[in-house]
Amino acid sequence: MYAKKLELLNEQIGILEWLDEKTAIIKGNTGKERISSRLLEEQIQKAVSEGARNLEIYADGQHGIGGILWPRGETIEIMVYGPVGQRCGSMGMFGTEILINGCASDDVGWLNCGAKITVLGDVGNGAFNAAAQGILYVQGSGGARCDTLTKHNPRFDPPQSWYLRDVGDSFAEFKAGGISVVCGVNPRNPDSVLGYRPCVGMVGGIIYFRGDIQGFSEKDVRLLDISESDWTWLKENMIPFLSAIDRLDLYNELSSNLEEWKKLVPFTPEERRAKRHFSLSITEFRKRQWEKEVGEGGIFAEYIDHERWSVIPYIVTGELRRFKPVWSNEKYDPPCAYACPTHIPTHKRARLLREGKINEALELMLMYSPIPEVVCGEICPNLCMDACTRARHDLPINVETLVKIKKEITLPKPQKPTGKKVAIIGGGPAGMSAAWQLALKGHETHLYESSDRLGGKIDQCIPKERLSIHVLYKELNRFKEIGVGLHLDTYVDGELFKDIYKNNDAIIIACGAHKPRRLEFPGSEHTITAYKFLKMINQGKKPDLTGKKILVIGAGNVGMDVASEAYVYGAEEVVAIDIQKPAAFGKELEIARKKGVKIIWPKNIERFDNVEGKVYFSDGSSIEAQIVIVSIGDMPVLDFIPFFIHSENGWIKVNEFYQTSDHKVYAIGDVTGLGLVTHAIGHGKIVADYVHDRLIAKPYSFTKKGVIPYKRIKKEYYDFSRIEMNDPSKEAERCLSCGMCRNCHICETTCHWGAIKRIEHSDGSFEYTVDDERCIACGFCVEVCPCGVWEMRQN
Amino acid sequence: MKLESESNQLTLKDFPYIVQWKEDRCKRCGQCTSICPVGAIKPSVKMIRTVESEGMLPQPKVRVKAIHIMEQVKDMEHYCTGCAMCQFVCPNEAIEPVYNPQNRFFHFKNTSGEPYRRGGRRNDPNPSTLDRIKFTRISMLTDPALDAGRHEFRIRTYLGRLLQPHDLPLVSAGGRIEIEKKDTFIPPVREIFPVIIGSMSIGALSPPMWEGLAMGVAYLNEVEGIPVVMATGEGGVPSRLLKSRYLKYFILQIASGYFGWDEIIHSLPYMVEDPAAIEIKYGQGAKPGDGGLLMAQKVIKLIAKIRGVPEGVDLASPPTHQTKYSIEEAVAKMIQSMSMAFGFRVPVYPKISGTKTALAVLNNLARNPYAGALAIDGEDGGTGAAYNVSLDKMGHPIASNIRDCYLELVKQGKQNELPLIAGGGIGKKGNLAANTAALIMLGASAVQVGKYIMQATAGCLGDELNRCNICNTGKCPRGIATQDPKLYRRLDSEKVAERLVEVFRSCDVELKKIFAPLGRSTELPIGMSDALGSDDAHMAERLGIAYVC
Repeated sequence: MYAKKLELLNEQIGILEWLDEKTAIIKGNTGKERISSRLLEEQIQKAVSEGARNLEIYADGQHGIGGILWPRGETIEIMVYGPVGQRCGSMGMFGTEILINGCASDDVGWLNCGAKITVLGDVGNGAFNAAAQGILYVQGSGGARCDTLTKHNPRFDPPQSWYLRDVGDSFAEFKAGGISVVCGVNPRNPDSVLGYRPCVGMVGGIIYFRGDIQGFSEKDVRLLDISESDWTWLKENMIPFLSAIDRLDLYNELSSNLEEWKKLVPFTPEERRAKRHFSLSITEFRKRQWEKEVGEGGIFAEYIDHERWSVIPYIVTGELRRFKPVWSNEKYDPPCAYACPTHIPTHKRARLLREGKINEALELMLMYSPIPEVVCGEICPNLCMDACTRARHDLPINVETLVKIKKEITLPKPQKPTGKKVAIIGGGPAGMSAAWQLALKGHETHLYESSDRLGGKIDQCIPKERLSIHVLYKELNRFKEIGVGLHLDTYVDGELFKDIYKNNDAIIIACGAHKPRRLEFPGSEHTITAYKFLKMINQGKKPDLTGKKILVIGAGNVGMDVASEAYVYGAEEVVAIDIQKPAAFGKELEIARKKGVKIIWPKNIERFDNVEGKVYFSDGSSIEAQIVIVSIGDMPVLDFIPFFIHSENGWIKVNEFYQTSDHKVYAIGDVTGLGLVTHAIGHGKIVADYVHDRLIAKPYSFTKKGVIPYKRIKKEYYDFSRIEMNDPSKEAERCLSCGMCRNCHICETTCHWGAIKRIEHSDGSFEYTVDDERCIACGFCVEVCPCGVWEMRQN
Repeated sequence: MKLESESNQLTLKDFPYIVQWKEDRCKRCGQCTSICPVGAIKPSVKMIRTVESEGMLPQPKVRVKAIHIMEQVKDMEHYCTGCAMCQFVCPNEAIEPVYNPQNRFFHFKNTSGEPYRRGGRRNDPNPSTLDRIKFTRISMLTDPALDAGRHEFRIRTYLGRLLQPHDLPLVSAGGRIEIEKKDTFIPPVREIFPVIIGSMSIGALSPPMWEGLAMGVAYLNEVEGIPVVMATGEGGVPSRLLKSRYLKYFILQIASGYFGWDEIIHSLPYMVEDPAAIEIKYGQGAKPGDGGLLMAQKVIKLIAKIRGVPEGVDLASPPTHQTKYSIEEAVAKMIQSMSMAFGFRVPVYPKISGTKTALAVLNNLARNPYAGALAIDGEDGGTGAAYNVSLDKMGHPIASNIRDCYLELVKQGKQNELPLIAGGGIGKKGNLAANTAALIMLGASAVQVGKYIMQATAGCLGDELNRCNICNTGKCPRGIATQDPKLYRRLDSEKVAERLVEVFRSCDVELKKIFAPLGRSTELPIGMSDALGSDDAHMAERLGIAYVC
């Protein structure tokens, strides 16, 4: 019948033929030639606009037949015969119903927007590509890339596509919506009714299928059994499909067994995110495969001793910290005590004064020196003050102020007697210091002094201007009360020394240096020595130097004392010369300078003409001088010591504990080399400690502490002192307490983690401790401690 | 006492990073100082003194208070490295280091006459040649365009020498092609993913970092099916790995220090798999002519055991192999020994640093039938420890070096025979796949990547503004380049492995995105330089690619 109709049609001249007012026939070939897709489309549009609702189209490979018709609520039925071109029914609208009597070429139903398309045969590649609404029924198979990019617009029902047999490769790529059904009846590829690699990039819609498949894009979709509701839908919608393709006979076969059907559904966005595409978690891989193969604990397990797979946080406490803070109270010396040859702990004295413990402060001093006020308060150049941290801020702690406490104290009590005997030769500062310390430690102590007075050069040579007689005698008297056996006016010669050596457990030589060094030059016989000059004055013989010009050879501190005294006794001019840079410093220099001393250097004396009253120098210059005083230092007199006590260049040789070449003989003070009074006192303390430990057979344990670095003291807590203090307790408040906790609670208060606690002991002492389980080793306590007490150490 | 001259003290402006601290946000919890790897910040006390006058007359009133602040340490031994761990741990966003372009770091970073040493790579924040190469040949309608998301690709390359078909001893027997049993040496070849994880030694890396990478490599091969291989670096390999079947995913490196090789040889009889290849290290792009160095602070028990050395000593791999005196001898001798050790079943190739003299080495290898490849490491390669001068000023960029070598092979007709492996600066700006693709199209068969892997998988902080870069000190805040358990236990091996898998999967996709428009899906576009363009005419001319603008 079709052929007959075609024959009839071919005889017509026109390509559009009306059968009745609603039915039109449109030909794709005039019989002579194929008409173009454009002309055919124009005829279709014309027919529809003129009222045609049934179209019979005899195609000849024309493109896009049946698309984009506007039936305005009505239905247009299109029957297509002949070789159908590509994209039949593309962009078809609701109301368009196309029946293709045979196979369709590629892209049937492309971008379908509602048309119902039935193909009584196979469809080529790309069928239903990008379809958004409508229906595609296929009686045969689909080609490659069918149902790709289909959509579901929520305004409409989802698009449906039904394939009776099977579909080709790359099915449903990027499918975003719509329902595809592949019935798997007599499939061309029985191994896979969905072809090769379906569902790549599929994000929406659903695919029902019946039959075997060979894989699908597992990262996009999953394979599931169909549910009851799926089954209901399938059975219900299968009927119109089967009737459209005229295969209702298959209904029973297709709807008999739910288990023949499966579905592919895309992962939801939530599932996709959750999966992160790891089919096997790394932890599972590690446990099930990695450790199975390389051994438990991984490849490094043999070499490490910590738990292998655990992780620690960035901020840690306890053992995991790289560092830990330690309250290192008094681990270091403050600069003052460190610089002091006597090692006097000025910081402790200041603390006691701050706490109002004045007696204790004074007693503390006497533990270090028998004559603290003489030394610290009067004659010492106060090396402690030069070193004071506070000197780097405003002004050093004034030690002279600190010692001047107008209060008498009770004498410290000696320890109980040890039964050991110690002899000290020399009653100067060194000898007194050693005797004082040893007596306090309970030893029977005897002091031998050649003159009739104690004090040595303090008494003999220091101008009274620099040292108040009152203070000196007060402290000398205190010394006498400690219980040292005093042997004044006793010159120790070789014989006596032998006795002393025999009868004592230890002998300490502290005879000082009392033999002035002399220079030999023409006229030197007319000079006098500084030692003699100063001693004469301190013994009460007052020289008359009125109008005299005086030259002092040697511009050290003794030279300055000489110069000052010379001015006191009327000298008109005093000049001090030196062959090198003058060594004078401190108060001695200051006082002499005030009085007018001139210091000239370098000058090397050539001769002294006492008649002319002139001194000539090697550089050809000269100076007027009636009196020349030589002040180039003193040497010890060592005629009494036995040969087994070695000396070198006139000084007794000692080790770091002032022990001589004989194990029971020690030497301290100027007899070992010239020094300051404070050096002599320091020697006395050290030698006493050492001798004591030896005598009671205790290992000597003292090690000198290091000095705390200045930068560890936080001066920023203290304002600048704007006035000089004269009050000892006020001065004590200025002390920065370097290296010694001032118990201010700054650390405890600052610690954000509450890791620092102050613990008070039953004896009244206290300490600050760290709770390691709270501390993160941030270093706040270390860096904000005013006294530099906290230290960070490797943990 | 002599004052310390203030003229020789440094100003904050001399430092490469300046710590910005916000007093009003800080709660003084000290997490920043606790984490700072180098002690560059510390709490400090400052006095604030103000004078106020209240009322209508001048009536001064002084207020003095001491406050606690966070202070930067002005000391070259404790310079702020800009790692920004302080910012990372700060709960209040109160602190961060800011790069100081005015810094004069190199003027002063030579205390005690010790030149500046560091880790990282060449400090040059400008885009590299690789980053200025674009892929300008996009097939849309001219060639069958491929879709990276849809088509199947095989991003694979060959490691090992390939014989030309006519050189293979093939015979036709009963309609089948078979290998004739002859004495012809058929070089071993591995099919691998073209991005190799470059040599980073155990020792340079911490145990969790190294094992994380190793585990990730195993996962990529066994779960993902991406055949990634990783070079071990010279520093020994734990026997557990040597004796496992995972060994096939690892390229064992031998360098001039021969650390750990006695242990590898002891393991030979127990190996169930051959390694992927043997890399003979002659040079490293980061520090050409400067040997390997593991600082004493990283040579702790574990490393000492694996490497077979005493603890706490500096371990130097000298810049030259001690027993070789010429190219001919050096290369031939080492390749022979290494091939022999593994029964001629394992590809053996040398790695050299980028150099003008690379062609001489290449020509030598081209004549050596046992040479499996040539790896060239360009100047932008990374290292755990080197002199800054070696890092910054020594070396040769990889692009023209690899290009010259490839074109030389083309001239000899051997471009498909001897694979070239390019390294140094790949992924410097994060463009792992693009840099890889550029090098492949310039002629590389594969690339090797180290620094990017550390950054991407473990958050290595180093960059070309010299951020962090203290790998040499053993103080790595991420726990990557340290042997201190207190630091490396911060790092999770599993997370490293996971990130490695993500990195390679993503790189795989990106390579497809680049190759798809070129119409390549199954063979790498090695030497396909007509696809490349550069907006720099000189660069384009030098590389023989299109100038595009």
